[in-house]
Amino acid sequence: MKERIRQLLEDALPLVDFDSDFLFRELDSLGVTTILMTLSEEYHIKLDAKDATPKNLKSLDSLVALVESKLAKN
Amino acid sequence: MAFSKLVDYLKRDAEIYPEKIAAIAGSEKITYKELYAKVLERSAKFKKGEVVAFRSSQDIDFLITYFAIHQAGAIAAPLEKDIPESRFKEISEMISSSSVPEEVADILFTTGTTGKSKGVMISHRTIVSNGENLIEGQLFSHNLLFIINGPMNHIGSLSKIFPTTMLGSTIYFLEGMKDLDLFFQALDYPADKVATFFVPATIRMLLQFSEERLASYKDKIDFIESGAAPLPHSDMLKLCEVLPNTRLYNTYASTETGIISTYNFNDGRCTPGCLGKPMSHSKVIITEEGKISCKGDTLMTGYVNDPLLTATILRDNTIFTSDLGVLDEEGMLHIKGRESDVINVGGFKVAPTEVEDVAMSLPEVKDCICISVEHKITGRALKLLVVLKEGETLNKQRIARFLKEKLEAYKVPMLYEQVESVKRTYNGKMDRKYYTNNNQ
Repeated sequence: MKERIRQLLEDALPLVDFDSDFLFRELDSLGVTTILMTLSEEYHIKLDAKDATPKNLKSLDSLVALVESKLAKN
Repeated sequence: MAFSKLVDYLKRDAEIYPEKIAAIAGSEKITYKELYAKVLERSAKFKKGEVVAFRSSQDIDFLITYFAIHQAGAIAAPLEKDIPESRFKEISEMISSSSVPEEVADILFTTGTTGKSKGVMISHRTIVSNGENLIEGQLFSHNLLFIINGPMNHIGSLSKIFPTTMLGSTIYFLEGMKDLDLFFQALDYPADKVATFFVPATIRMLLQFSEERLASYKDKIDFIESGAAPLPHSDMLKLCEVLPNTRLYNTYASTETGIISTYNFNDGRCTPGCLGKPMSHSKVIITEEGKISCKGDTLMTGYVNDPLLTATILRDNTIFTSDLGVLDEEGMLHIKGRESDVINVGGFKVAPTEVEDVAMSLPEVKDCICISVEHKITGRALKLLVVLKEGETLNKQRIARFLKEKLEAYKVPMLYEQVESVKRTYNGKMDRKYYTNNNQ
């Protein structure tokens, strides 16, 4: 799942370094929106603004954890 | 009482509303009295007539620097916060050796209607006229809290400090909209009325991810202005439904023309493409070719160091834009499109040639064209179609990061595609119309 998410997000946001542990700092509002929309479409999960926390968007690993927790709730 | 300079209004605010909060940014707050004192102190750093280029920031320090430059009789040239250092130096050197008319207050860099980045000279009179247009057209008031969430080198955000200073209102700075919790915290700030400006992509984001939460502020949000790029009609209708008591404005403005007209689309008609009636300092005339031209006190003085380019759009106290429009029987302006190669991405204008010139300096790129395509979030996005030299493979990240080193971030395409060739017209020019017609 991690590599699939990386591929999707790198495609959508080519300027962002998804290896960074300070991902949230690198993003702008467009980047945050793109990540939420891309993940919700790919995994059919409902994401909203409350999910867009600095903690959830800290790194690629934290994004994977966010998707996994949403899928588990589904 | 009317003053000729914005900084004179600030002085007045410090005298009659000394303890009123002028601005808030994060945990920092500053009163009008404190702000004016800091402005006076910092103004000693600047010389009369000097052009001061500086990186803009969405905070109190920006306000102090901006007003201090005006207080000293110098000219403010706020640049993009993350502008590459080489470009910052290039622009600083260019403007420091320029001859600038005495009435000029600011130089704002934008992609001119004819292409590359140009320094637009704005006079003190223009600033005050823009402020008066906004006060009258959108009913700014003294007890309003205005949330600025965009870059201060862009007229969309910068212009909001004009009416707020003229009325002694309060500004709340946000560094962008990526943390929506911070935006809702700003809405929670104790104030009678709150207003803000959003580019269309932010409205899309709020409707997509925070519709219910936004709706809970329906009685507190006095008005929201959108502009800079077309707002999809579906988003206009949705926003009217979510915020039935809020005035929702679509505005016709540019750095060159100033703020010309505004339309409250929450009027029961929600007319797409309507930009309202010209405001009191502005007049709109539609040319024989159907293009929008503007007259009045909000127009720029000209492009810095470029009288020839200035003359291409500013003649007889009139700015001739590339926007196609009509005035209806009520005198309302309606925009019908744009006749220019310049691409509008989320409110930022980009000359495709500028992107192509930089991309062509990459060794693996044989040819390329920068086009605009539909995008689900931003409305439009830049896409670079690349012809690679033999044996090379497309590396999007490498191209994007190379472009980011040389250009402002908003000029870097989000999308990349390898193509066999770039379509050209019979005389060898890039066939931009072909790509426009095939990528709607």
